[in-house]
Amino acid sequence: MTDDAAADAKLVKMIVFAVGEQEYCIPILSVREIRGFEKTTALPFAPPYVCGAINLRGVILTVIDFAVYLNVTPQPDNPRRVAIIVESRNGTVCGLLVDRVIDMADIDLGEIQAVAEENSSLNGLVMLGDRMIGVLRLEVVVGQLVKAGTS
Amino acid sequence: MSGDMDDILLVFFQECEEQLQELERGLAALSDGESGKETINAVFRAVHSIKGGAASFGLENLVRFAHVFESSLDGLRSGRVAPTPEIVKIFLKAMDVLSDLVAEAQGGAAVDQDRIADSRTELETIMANATGSAPAEKQDEVIPADFTPVPLDFAPVMADFDFGDLGVEEEVPASTALVVTFSPHTAMYDRGDDARNLLIGLADVAVAHGGTSTVTCETAAVPTLADLETEKSCLSWRVVLPAAVPEESVHTVFDWVSDVCDVTITREGAAILKAEDKNAEDAAASLAPASTTDAQAPASAIIAPEPAQAPSPTSAAVMERIMAELPPAPAASAPVDAGKAQPVRQPAEQATIRVDLHRVDDLMDLVGELVIAQAALEAIGQANNGGHQEMNKCIASMKTLTRDIQDAVMAVRAQPVRSVFQRMQRVVREACSMTHKDVVLTLEGENTEVDRTLVEKLSDPLTHMLRNAVDHGIESAEDRIAAGKPGTGQILLSAGHRSGRILITIQDDGAGINRERVLAIGVKRGIVAPDAVLTDDEIHNLIFAPGFSTAATVSDLSGRGVGMDVVKQAILGLGGRVTISSVEGQGTTFCLSLPLTLAVLDGMLIDAAGSTMVVPISSVVETMMVGHKDIYALPDGANVVSIRGECMPLIPLASVLGLVRKRATGQSEEDVILVVENESGARAALIVDTIRDQAQVVIKSIEKNYRQMPGVSAATILGDGSVSLILDIPALVANALGRIDTRPSDVRTEIAA
Repeated sequence: MTDDAAADAKLVKMIVFAVGEQEYCIPILSVREIRGFEKTTALPFAPPYVCGAINLRGVILTVIDFAVYLNVTPQPDNPRRVAIIVESRNGTVCGLLVDRVIDMADIDLGEIQAVAEENSSLNGLVMLGDRMIGVLRLEVVVGQLVKAGTS
Repeated sequence: MSGDMDDILLVFFQECEEQLQELERGLAALSDGESGKETINAVFRAVHSIKGGAASFGLENLVRFAHVFESSLDGLRSGRVAPTPEIVKIFLKAMDVLSDLVAEAQGGAAVDQDRIADSRTELETIMANATGSAPAEKQDEVIPADFTPVPLDFAPVMADFDFGDLGVEEEVPASTALVVTFSPHTAMYDRGDDARNLLIGLADVAVAHGGTSTVTCETAAVPTLADLETEKSCLSWRVVLPAAVPEESVHTVFDWVSDVCDVTITREGAAILKAEDKNAEDAAASLAPASTTDAQAPASAIIAPEPAQAPSPTSAAVMERIMAELPPAPAASAPVDAGKAQPVRQPAEQATIRVDLHRVDDLMDLVGELVIAQAALEAIGQANNGGHQEMNKCIASMKTLTRDIQDAVMAVRAQPVRSVFQRMQRVVREACSMTHKDVVLTLEGENTEVDRTLVEKLSDPLTHMLRNAVDHGIESAEDRIAAGKPGTGQILLSAGHRSGRILITIQDDGAGINRERVLAIGVKRGIVAPDAVLTDDEIHNLIFAPGFSTAATVSDLSGRGVGMDVVKQAILGLGGRVTISSVEGQGTTFCLSLPLTLAVLDGMLIDAAGSTMVVPISSVVETMMVGHKDIYALPDGANVVSIRGECMPLIPLASVLGLVRKRATGQSEEDVILVVENESGARAALIVDTIRDQAQVVIKSIEKNYRQMPGVSAATILGDGSVSLILDIPALVANALGRIDTRPSDVRTEIAA
């Protein structure tokens, strides 16, 4: 998680988005930009959750369909589907295709309730008002993209 | 401040690198029997420059060794030592030590003192032999030709200042003190030298001859504080040395600053002018007609030849001013007065400039984007068919221009592989001395130009392969003679262009690959199944498997924890391929085929499974439509196609890449077949939906943000901004050939041999 660097600050600005019914958040500092969904180029031997590659001003990056990744039913004809372009700490850039971006929120890292083991993509859950929001471990998601299947 | 220093140091090391290359080239030429003056001078100059630079950074070890090296090279330069193979060998060894010392100074591993001492002793032996056999000559050598006892008649002598032109004996009364005056130019400080070093040098000389030096600093030329230019050199010095000091030792002190410093050496009472003073006169003379206000300028020319007490400081001061006012004139004449092998350097410096690599890279990126934009324009132009004749013409000419710009930028980045190849001489030398074998490395095609990123990345794989060739390839001298071969092994390292790629071959005349042994080890290490039946080619390729080593014992060379698998990975990483061919008893040949550049390629745009992909045009042999009757199914479900009697595996691209689940068998009539071939000539037929276009595409790495994909080498961006994959044809072919066991090995060995 990108939260280590900001551990002292406790409060971390996160961007909150929805995939299916569930809301998730990632640190806003890892977000490069948000783009409308565009046509991707299919990649051979890609895991099912990889939509394909897009061209971001000369840089080629892959887009992950987050609904498929999280195994929830995507909203098929959603005009608000956007790709959040994120950059992980080791410099890997990729796009996360989500159903809609909701808002930003200050998340107190101390309030995150761990739900899964170390290497899961979900760091924990946090309550924002009466909504339960999943805090994602971006490094895990992006890491899978680069590492898995490297022959 | 320390940052500045680091920068300067960095420049110094860069220069060292260049000088070492120069040195290597020179010595290589020498060992080939080419002992021209130019070559020897170039060698001398290289060592000399390293020494000079090192001295100003206080790199003691380096300076000390370089000095000995230089002194012995001086013997070569003056003709006292003949460049026999033995001597050149000593020099080569010394060069290795020198480059290690440079690396050490750069923060690398410390150099073994014994090695330094060994090499030193050898160098000193050369010197001793030289001076021993012709001591009288030496005396003359060091006295410059202009050292004439007729002081007032100096001008004609200057014009013909030639170090080799000797025979003047010294008639100076030896009892008079030696007066040295020198005034450094600003350029000397720019170069990082310091007058202090020179003064210390002179003091050392004085002490060495049993006396002391008296130093006076001449401050006459220093302007008032208000007019003072902080970066201009104003001071000059007058040093009185004991009479016993020979002038040659003073020369030695000024050896590597003579082009940026005015020196006069005079005997008290009997003035003898040095060449450097010609400068003053030149400058003054050229200044005088220009009606300068500097009244002293003409005077200096008159004063200069007079007996020595007063004039030198004045003339130096004047000269300093003249230098400042007339920068080009002294700069041009400086190499002449230095008189020591300077002239050759000039053309090289004029011909090249140093450019930060980042700038070239940026330019390359921009040109890449330009190519994409141009392709986009072209696409639009074609969409509005016929309507805009003029525009299409413009686009066409722009296309040519874009291509030319691209070629020009590529040419800027292109470098001959020589720099890497020459380093390999050393690798082989070291490997030889460690394995006690005698191997000659022959280089061919060193001038082949490749993109510089490639040049740099070639170094490691080549090093490993050559070490391997010496260690495992070439047999010991006894075995070789027993096998009826000459005791000295031969390795040929050659580079050349071949159909848009660069082909590097490493060919040894050793024992060849022992296939049984390789296979046995492969089985033992669990790399292949014990009952596997492998073709020769597959056995050869076993040596690239991780963890494979034929060496019975881990030697110094092969025990470094890197094997041929690393080599293969490195080459693959560069978009290259390695092929091996080996004839038992006659030797092994490794062929590396690499792309010329890592930036752009000519591609054929094809459609498969609804997406556009790029096939490198260099691997496309022909395109055609094929009827069903030419396609034969094999029992394992794959197909082969017979094209004019030649059978080759059929690759249904869409399904091979896993982009289509259905329709794995059965081709539609409209499908197009691309006959593709890998660099060793093995062919396969690629089934695609349609051929769209042919275009130049910019290679973009996809692996930075994504994993490596089988069958895909990189990606590119098409004119419409969409991403397109560049197919890795050799991998696809290899995959197809692997499944359908045709006769790839025969084809390959034929081609490689």
